[in-house]
Amino acid sequence: MEEVKEEGEEMDVNDCGGGGLEVVRVLVVDDSPVDRKIVEMLLRRSEGIFDVVSVDSGKKAMEVLGLNEIEAKPPNHDDQKIDIVLTDYCMPEMTGLDLLKAVKANSSSRSIPVVMMSSENDSERISSCRAIGAEDFILKPLQVKDVQRLRTYTVPIGPMSKRGSKRKLPMALIAESNGAEARPLLAKVAAFGSAVFLTLNFWRSSVMSSSCN
Amino acid sequence: MSLMALREQLNGLVNSMFLEGLLDDQFEQLQMLQDESSPGFIAELITLFCGDSERILAELTKLLDQAVVDYQKVDAFVHQLKGSSSSVGAQHVKLACVQFRQFCEEHNKEGLKGIYFFRCLRALNVVKHEYYLLRGKFDTMLQLEQRIQAYESKQQI
Repeated sequence: MEEVKEEGEEMDVNDCGGGGLEVVRVLVVDDSPVDRKIVEMLLRRSEGIFDVVSVDSGKKAMEVLGLNEIEAKPPNHDDQKIDIVLTDYCMPEMTGLDLLKAVKANSSSRSIPVVMMSSENDSERISSCRAIGAEDFILKPLQVKDVQRLRTYTVPIGPMSKRGSKRKLPMALIAESNGAEARPLLAKVAAFGSAVFLTLNFWRSSVMSSSCN
Repeated sequence: MSLMALREQLNGLVNSMFLEGLLDDQFEQLQMLQDESSPGFIAELITLFCGDSERILAELTKLLDQAVVDYQKVDAFVHQLKGSSSSVGAQHVKLACVQFRQFCEEHNKEGLKGIYFFRCLRALNVVKHEYYLLRGKFDTMLQLEQRIQAYESKQQI
């Protein structure tokens, strides 16, 4: 994920969703046209934060991610640059689990967070997905709160981008949004980062206001 | 019929569907997603659901008509229909699918295969009954919505 975010595209006003957030491109993978439509709508209603690409099979998802060739496409393929994959578990031919394994097995896509969706609350299924590297496992039908927490999986942990031209949501707000109870370490790191960010901003504004006076 | 009367009729229909258990909270969640920027969302979703459901029901009918029934495929299709009906809030259809899947899982019991086949057949008929009951009400809902939209468009001119 850090690779994608540090590609350093100049900030484009059109790329920013409401409130100065970067737009997150989500690849939705689901063989059910009904579920695809619902997830697309949930994502599109999230204040312009998400840009949605949706496909009806794991095979097509591999094409979008550039993983269906012997030589994977370089990760900077801007047209289909995916920030997060949201995939159904049960699909014919290539299941969501197969797709997860393929994404995590490939160096060009490994860093892309993958979130699984399923109508079955199967603990073995959930733990096997997490063991392979799934960020989360969401029960269908999806709700607004499920979609809102997707954004937390795409925010890089650590120093802000050196390019600095992208406006980012302060980590404290992201850490509060959801998932903190399930990811306490991430929440602590995010809270520390938030404290540093707020302190730096306070110091900077103090310096600026004293120089104006 | 006046615009207000049409709206009352539509509201009455939807409310009765909730009261009868044909629809559940999930449908209400989906209604809240519809707004001025996507006024046709519910209609499109219902159309998608109906098309997909009828495709699945046709497949299930074909599968249960075979001399040797592939219960794994039957279960896969019922799972699909259960999923989409749950996503749309079609409660009775979903519950009928849950019952159907239980019979699919039991079909291999020694000496009782014939009985379970007929139970599956009956379960399919229950699913069809629930689906077509819902479909009839969805058709009326969409017709009322179209009339309301036509009325509102005329008023704007």
